[in-house]
Amino acid sequence: MDTSSPSAFVNGSLMRRYIGQKVRTVIQVVGSDVGSVVGKSTDDLQIIVKGSPPTTTTPSTYLEVIGIAENENSIRAEVWTNFGNSFDPVNYNELCKLANGEFKHLFI
Amino acid sequence: MQNSVTPDAISAVLSNPSFDSSSDRSEIVVQVVDLKPIGNRYTFSANDGKTRVKAMFTASLTPEIVSGKIQNLGLIRLVDFTVNDISSKSTKYFLVTKCETVASVLDSEIDLEGKKDEEEGGEAKRQKLDHTPVNDVKETGITLKPKQEFVSKSASQIITEQRGNAAPAARMAMTRRVHPLVSLNPYQGSWTIKVRVTNKGTMRNYKNARGEGCVFNVELTDEEGTQIQATMFNDAARKFYDRFQLGKVYYISRGSLKLANKQFKTVQNDYEMTLNENSEVEEASNEETFVPETKFNFVPIEELGMYVNQKELIDLIGVVQSVSPTMSIRRRTDNEMIPKRDITLADESKKTVVVSLWNDLATGVGQELLDMADKSPVIAIKSLKVGDFQGVSLSTIRRSNVVINPESPEAKKLKSWFDSEGKEASMSSIGSGISPLAKNGSWSMYTDRVLLSHITSNPSLGEEKPVFFSTRGYISFIKPDQTMWYQACKTCNKKVTEAMDSGYWCEGCQKKDEECSLRYIMVVKVSDSTGEAWFSSFNDEAENIIGCSADELNKLRSEGGEVNEFQTKLKEATWSSHVFRISVTQNEYNGEKRQRVTVKGVAPVDFAAEARLLLQDISKKN
Repeated sequence: MDTSSPSAFVNGSLMRRYIGQKVRTVIQVVGSDVGSVVGKSTDDLQIIVKGSPPTTTTPSTYLEVIGIAENENSIRAEVWTNFGNSFDPVNYNELCKLANGEFKHLFI
Repeated sequence: MQNSVTPDAISAVLSNPSFDSSSDRSEIVVQVVDLKPIGNRYTFSANDGKTRVKAMFTASLTPEIVSGKIQNLGLIRLVDFTVNDISSKSTKYFLVTKCETVASVLDSEIDLEGKKDEEEGGEAKRQKLDHTPVNDVKETGITLKPKQEFVSKSASQIITEQRGNAAPAARMAMTRRVHPLVSLNPYQGSWTIKVRVTNKGTMRNYKNARGEGCVFNVELTDEEGTQIQATMFNDAARKFYDRFQLGKVYYISRGSLKLANKQFKTVQNDYEMTLNENSEVEEASNEETFVPETKFNFVPIEELGMYVNQKELIDLIGVVQSVSPTMSIRRRTDNEMIPKRDITLADESKKTVVVSLWNDLATGVGQELLDMADKSPVIAIKSLKVGDFQGVSLSTIRRSNVVINPESPEAKKLKSWFDSEGKEASMSSIGSGISPLAKNGSWSMYTDRVLLSHITSNPSLGEEKPVFFSTRGYISFIKPDQTMWYQACKTCNKKVTEAMDSGYWCEGCQKKDEECSLRYIMVVKVSDSTGEAWFSSFNDEAENIIGCSADELNKLRSEGGEVNEFQTKLKEATWSSHVFRISVTQNEYNGEKRQRVTVKGVAPVDFAAEARLLLQDISKKN
């Protein structure tokens, strides 16, 4: 397993802690433009993902995005993964909070 | 109408030598105290709150006292009475020939002076007397008179006076020494109890090693609310069956007591009573028949899950969806055929459940229901046993009570729901909760969630009655060379034996079939991050785990060939994860107690739901 460049689990509000660093998050697609996708984070904040997704992004699909956080609400994507339509954002959100809170030592 | 005594009335009367009751006496109200019989007449003390005077009721009033109309500590208006002298003494007494009851038993003796010499506490009372008439109108000195006025009380009188606040019928104790049920024990000599029949069972015929006979029992309740069950066999049963009627009150004596068999206990009492032909059962003629209204405590069908296989009996109300014809089932204990009828009930939870009516209920009320099934009646049933056949099944027992179209608010609500939407609604059986998407399945797969270590670390789990849990784990091993299935009857699923000629014989259905079906009965090893355990699984759950029926697997097993499909099937089932509903009990095996885990239900893992459970656990640990 390649652990050379770990990515931190973030939701919308946690992005600011990792500006310039590699992060991973799951967004629900709201709309797409040329070269970027607009999505909703698991804590209901808007995130813009720069790059082009491999598959056509239909609104309400969940996408996992791994990339560099450019600023508080945008990521330059390197890896995209389609998580489908049935995804529980609440669980993921709790995971992000725990991974950056009391269990941070278990992650990065 | 006065509600209390007429103060000073007694003194006034006593001070008036030319007293005539018929003229202006109609307003005197006194309290009756120290009421006791002497011969066939009753004496008492008349208390007006300030003074007391010895008094006596004429014999003609005795029936009113016996019937409880005139009671100790009650208030009476003296309608017709005379003041007489006690011979050779200077004391007077009232001879009451006519009176009216104004109020029944009061809490205690009225004492308007606040000087209470007597406590309502059962010490031997001292007779209170009034005294010289004329000058002592205001005086309330209560003097103790010497010996001849002292009356010793019998134990029953003291007890009666003590229980001043008891219901009117308690006064009846005056004529018969009645024991409270709570005081009865096997070592007590003769006793008489006064009880009401609050439940009467049906006459049952039985056959056992010692022969055959008939038996019935009744539930008896006394005034204090204590209950006891009384059983009668054979001659005694025949003698008393018609005499005991629900709701009536009886004096009973010469019964015998023994410790109650906890297994069959129906009432809260350490003892149970047996009556034989020498016992005495006499109807209390002055008591009103009171049949207590059956009190129901309904459980909605969708909540039946938690009562499965528990000792607790439940009550149910529902709309009849269907009624089956009578079936004859052979009772395994004595090979007797007993009638059974299955009815399907539905309620507002849009769930249905099957209730099995047995014996008289199957033939009696069951037939009634069959005749009116198309009218979709509402029925309420009391005291049902909850079993796990096909998930959830209800059965009547001897004391179950069925009421058709009861006059209750719940019944009205149910009927109006049915007429408006229930009729057309699609319902699902409460028992079929295996499907993970079914909402009713969720109660079982996420309640009482444990890790395997909880089960393995606690060997005495399920010692008294089975305990239920849900758990998530992986099938880690299925022994390929175990007996995985048994030959089952195609109708009733019971084990069949191979017949001499071809075919299979079913003992339960008493018939032979050319074919049988195979049904799973296997053990699998289940593991999770905390441990491992062997789970026993029956047909439906095993089919879910293996992924095919026992008949199919058997076919694969017997097929040889390059690729052993049988092994593949088992391999595929291994290391699959599931959520299980399990029961844990204790089995004795060669004198040793062993834990037995049985799979009651299987469902696929719902990852989102499991994640939520884990998050819950994490937050709990903080």
